[in-house]
Amino acid sequence: MASIDIALATIAFKRKIAYKTTWLFSVLFGGWALLAGLAVWNHLIGDGEIGGYDWEAMKAYLVIGFLTTTLAWAGAEWDMANRILDGLVAIDLTKPVDFQRARAAEYIGGMTASVPAAILGTVIAVLVFRPAGPASPLAAALTVFSLLFIFPLAFGISYLAILCCFVTQRFLGIQWAKDSLVAFFSGMMIPIALMPGWLQGLAWAMPFVHFTTTPASIYLGRVDTAGALGLIAVEAAWAVGLLVIARLIWRQLVKKVTVHGG
Amino acid sequence: MPILESQSLTKTFRRPDKASGFKGAVKHLAQRKYKNYTAVDGIDLSIDAGESVAYVGPNGAGKSTTVKLLTGILRPSEGTVRVMGRDPHTERIANAHDIGVLFGQRTQLWWDLPVEESLKLLKHMYGVSDADYKRRIERFDELLDLNEFMPALARTLSLGQRMRADLACALIHDPKMVYLDEPTIGLDISVKDRLRAFLRELVNDGTTLLLTSHDLADIEEVCERIVVIDKGAIAYDGSIERLKAHYITTKAVNLYLEGAADVPALAEKFPDYEWTAGEAPSEVTVTYESNRFTTAEVLGSLTAQLSPRDLSLSEPSIEDVIRRLYAGELTK
Repeated sequence: MASIDIALATIAFKRKIAYKTTWLFSVLFGGWALLAGLAVWNHLIGDGEIGGYDWEAMKAYLVIGFLTTTLAWAGAEWDMANRILDGLVAIDLTKPVDFQRARAAEYIGGMTASVPAAILGTVIAVLVFRPAGPASPLAAALTVFSLLFIFPLAFGISYLAILCCFVTQRFLGIQWAKDSLVAFFSGMMIPIALMPGWLQGLAWAMPFVHFTTTPASIYLGRVDTAGALGLIAVEAAWAVGLLVIARLIWRQLVKKVTVHGG
Repeated sequence: MPILESQSLTKTFRRPDKASGFKGAVKHLAQRKYKNYTAVDGIDLSIDAGESVAYVGPNGAGKSTTVKLLTGILRPSEGTVRVMGRDPHTERIANAHDIGVLFGQRTQLWWDLPVEESLKLLKHMYGVSDADYKRRIERFDELLDLNEFMPALARTLSLGQRMRADLACALIHDPKMVYLDEPTIGLDISVKDRLRAFLRELVNDGTTLLLTSHDLADIEEVCERIVVIDKGAIAYDGSIERLKAHYITTKAVNLYLEGAADVPALAEKFPDYEWTAGEAPSEVTVTYESNRFTTAEVLGSLTAQLSPRDLSLSEPSIEDVIRRLYAGELTK
């Protein structure tokens, strides 16, 4: 990683923590969503199981969901979108840095600002609710790997959504669509295992599933080691593939950039 | 050898062609129509290294669009641009190392961080050494009082401070070619004076400068050459001195007479001059062609025959010339 990437990521990190109250609220809100999820699923599962998840496993699934949601929602996508919509992208284009690389550094820097909150919330949830532990030490290690790939994956998805602003001139609808797709097909709202077969197939064919279902499946041992490595390879391929697709789209969009006014 | 050269540079935008009102909005939703609008129309421009060029024109003339084409932000619809031998759009990153850009209406400071953080980020971006960074910051501080607000959050700066900080950001890497798009917009006179002094120093040091401004004092104090653009095309390109010599062909004397001025009678008595009534009954303005009469001759004949109570000379103004160029009264 070059010094410019670190410098851009550091700036984005500092910008995130510059607004302490907002930062604190995001942590509290994330924690509240976890509590609500635990209450609902406790009521639904009781002493039985749903979709192969008993109460202990579901607690672990929800805690992993909390962790990945806190990270995946933490990037500075509105900052990026507003720069395009307000024309500040003109300033970015006068700088000697690759546009996509600079935005990636900023986005991942912004996500990093949420890591302390994600870890703190997870540790508290583990201590208070005592969810199921990892299937094995290897499963725990592979879960960490799959969580690390969330950073480039989240950037790839958000960046593609933000590039739509060059065409739509608005971001709100795009963001709603993107957030809905991530929330539904990642398994954050409902585990993929509870969906009809065809919908499960569709979910596994998309990148969103790697936000929650992949790390949770690896952690809980719902896939063996070969399966876990396969999922991580697919997750990494999506991360790289999205960045390549975004670069190809950018090459066309930059020819059509329009910035009106002085 | 030109540092910047454009040939037939043209930029056409597509604009929605939408009727006003609810009906127009609904109709546009179902049947979208667009119109092409040419913002820059065949600009041929050549700037040599070390030149300071003012790029002026009325609102919507295409000044900012030209700057965006020259800096590589926009892709030309037609024509070519070369800056230091490169195409600024396709070789954007290499070009960006050698240029400095300031858009007066868009800040490059990170809004929620101290000014110093933005400058340090740019230091990394341009690969400026620690020694060069320190030396340049010291120089900017001498000329722009930068240290006064270096620790302040960008969003807490006054407009003048923000513009000084943005100027430092545009110049921290010692660019060879600098584009300043309305750098004095909204500033008070003392900050304007300080910025102009700084820009004069920059030009004296050999930096090539392209400056757009609506403030003609910026132009006269900083630039040697002026390019006037109107409706996307060049209306004048030459030195400011030539502009004055070529287009300022009349001078004026304001006379304050003892009694009320009888303008028709004066016009009959002095038919070589143009007479206009002033604000007060005793005031009258005499306009004469400067290539036919010297000021001394005019003053001599007027004072001898009219014995005015007082008089004043109207200095030729570049502002009037540019206003007339904008209005289409003058041609190239």
